[in-house]
Amino acid sequence: MKVLSKQEVISFQNFSYSYPTKRNVLIDINLKVYKGEVLGIIGPNGAGKSTFCKSLNGLVPHFYGGTVKGNVTVAGMDTLEHTVAELSTKVGIVFQEPENQLSGLALTVEEEVGFGLSMLGFSRELIKERVKEAIEKVGLKGLERRSPFELSGGQQQRLAIATVLAMKPEVMVLDEPVALLDPIGKYEVFSVLKELIKEGSTIIIAEHEIEELAYLTDRILFLKEGKIISLDNSRNVLSEISKLREAGIDPPSITELTYELEKELGIKFDQYPIKLSEAVKLYSEVLKIK
Amino acid sequence: MSSIGTSLLRRSVIIKETLIHKADPRTKFFFFLWISIWAYIFYDYVLTAIFLIGIIILAIIGKILKRILLSVAVTVLPWMAFGVPILSVLFPWNSTLMYKIEIFGWQIPFYYEGFAWGLTWPLRIGVCITSALLFYLTTNPANLIALLFKLKLPFRFIYAFAAAVQLIPLLVDEAGTIYQAQLSRGLRTDVGIIKRIWNFLILIIPLTLSSLTKVQIRAIALESRGFSAPVIKTCPYDIRFKSIDYAFFIGIIMATLIMIYIYIVYGFSPIVHLKQYLISG
Amino acid sequence: MEKGEEKEVIPTGAKILAIVMIPTIAALNYVGGVIVELTKAPIWGDTWATILGTLISGFWVGAIGGFLYNIIMALTLWGLPAWVWGTANVVIALITWFSMKLGWTDLKKPIKLIIPCIIFGFIYPIYTTAVSIFIFGGGPLWKPLPAAVYAAVLASTENFWLANYVQNLVTEIPDKIISFIISLIIVSRIPKKYILVRQRS
Repeated sequence: MKVLSKQEVISFQNFSYSYPTKRNVLIDINLKVYKGEVLGIIGPNGAGKSTFCKSLNGLVPHFYGGTVKGNVTVAGMDTLEHTVAELSTKVGIVFQEPENQLSGLALTVEEEVGFGLSMLGFSRELIKERVKEAIEKVGLKGLERRSPFELSGGQQQRLAIATVLAMKPEVMVLDEPVALLDPIGKYEVFSVLKELIKEGSTIIIAEHEIEELAYLTDRILFLKEGKIISLDNSRNVLSEISKLREAGIDPPSITELTYELEKELGIKFDQYPIKLSEAVKLYSEVLKIK
Repeated sequence: MSSIGTSLLRRSVIIKETLIHKADPRTKFFFFLWISIWAYIFYDYVLTAIFLIGIIILAIIGKILKRILLSVAVTVLPWMAFGVPILSVLFPWNSTLMYKIEIFGWQIPFYYEGFAWGLTWPLRIGVCITSALLFYLTTNPANLIALLFKLKLPFRFIYAFAAAVQLIPLLVDEAGTIYQAQLSRGLRTDVGIIKRIWNFLILIIPLTLSSLTKVQIRAIALESRGFSAPVIKTCPYDIRFKSIDYAFFIGIIMATLIMIYIYIVYGFSPIVHLKQYLISG
Repeated sequence: MEKGEEKEVIPTGAKILAIVMIPTIAALNYVGGVIVELTKAPIWGDTWATILGTLISGFWVGAIGGFLYNIIMALTLWGLPAWVWGTANVVIALITWFSMKLGWTDLKKPIKLIIPCIIFGFIYPIYTTAVSIFIFGGGPLWKPLPAAVYAAVLASTENFWLANYVQNLVTEIPDKIISFIISLIIVSRIPKKYILVRQRS
């Protein structure tokens, strides 16, 4: 299991939020995220996952207004005291819709990647350097001169990731980044994320793709109706089969299988597997015994 | 996902390597303003026709003659075709008889004032349209955006302009898709006026809804990328004047001096001096 | 902030929503013209989004979006004088705005729609007539029906202004009134969360 750094990057302290038209979207959120950690967020629709993500870069509450209690600190900046523009150098966010989050100003992939940096007034030379680096990281080399609107969904999401990477934020937030993608697009995006995780990036990812989160994340935050149901290492959260089912979330297939087998066979497993390799190992041992 | 949804600029600009293409967009933009204003200063169909011919010559150099001629054929010529006969006969300020034509036993008088009006105004608009096209078709989209930055326009305007020209072909594609979908659901275009208006509605409503959703998402994405940061935005492009631009400006200065001379000596309507020859034949 | 203290935050999103809405209005005006061609609807279809934008986001957004459409058309297709039609879009936005503020935009009360329809159909063309004459010469349009109307009025009244006005009526009455009604219908169908201005009923 990965040893998490002790350097705190994100801190929620008794944070509650209501939109102007919807009360109690997030209720009493307390948590810390550490440098290099990958935190997954799961929950049924309306749980507050997107709101949680947007509260990291100040969109909540600045963009929408509403009422706030408590605070959120990201990379030492209180999100209530800083504008979204100021926070954009600390937190980069990738949204669900690949095409709609394109700036609309950039004529090429290169310009789109450099868009955030242009908005912050960085020099052309620095922008060029960072853009090159970011494009290589997400595997869009060769497509620099293409229009962003000509790319596939997976390519556009990778482009969005590159736009965020170019700004070198301390935290990357992804709000259901593969929800609207085809299987190839999903594969492309998750491949990029795996590389970023290997490099030690701090990532928050809200997703319905539980199977993938099992592989990517260190901890999982389980939200329901704005409240924290569980916040623990991924294995523990994904093993809470009844809680997940109650919330309408499908646990990872192999975890669920093991849970059902446990009941059926009357065997007690020390822990449930959440990855295929773990399941293979576990069942091999069980079958050997049998 | 649109596979051909690119900027209106990229779709329309004719990519070539001519002197006109190489000229700085500021030069071409200035020329477009300059000649359009002169077309309005002079009320003279001969002079205005000369302006138009000048633009056509530049279009030949820029290898965009076909597009320019097409625009003239579609706007200027039909306009003249209606304007000249109607105004030659009916213009309220007609006074100088040119000739009379017999039509079905009627003697229809054709007057000079209406004739001149019917010629001059379409030519003026023709100059404006063709000079705009000359600028637009030979200006690389990146250079157009650079021009907006160089003009020190507020960034929000630059964004709005560039985003609009990017959005237009995307929306057109989306409208096409919605149209095809509705056709397959039985939409017919060979119907009465009320039904046609209804058809307009059933195409425009989903397009509008989709556009409004995109507005929300794009706004938060822009905000997240520092759009509202109170700093001077970096323009990704650089444009510089070249020798062709200086030559062009010298030409414009000389032409301006000539026009000022004409204006002082002959007034805003030099053709008036030639009118008597035209009338007496 | 003290623990437990609830704070009200003023939203800042409206400004950027407006900035993103403006090019959308310009683009929708353009596409309106394209859809008119596809459906052969009897309107120009290139100012309806100005009305819609005003109804959704207020006068400034509608007016600037409409104006931007004309700037783009001036630079790309119609030439310099066409930017003047941008001011016509501002007038359209103004008429829409006042109609909204005075409660004349409620589809459930069709009687109240009569006044803005009269303004759009008969008052607005006074402005377009002035533009047609001073910027475009006031000659007949290059379409047979309006040109025929123009010629008939000019022949019978010898009044240049009246001929232009009646010619404008022929095109503007159907276009503006239909565009106005269409925009009201669209606004009535879209989710309330997209509407940023308070509508008076």
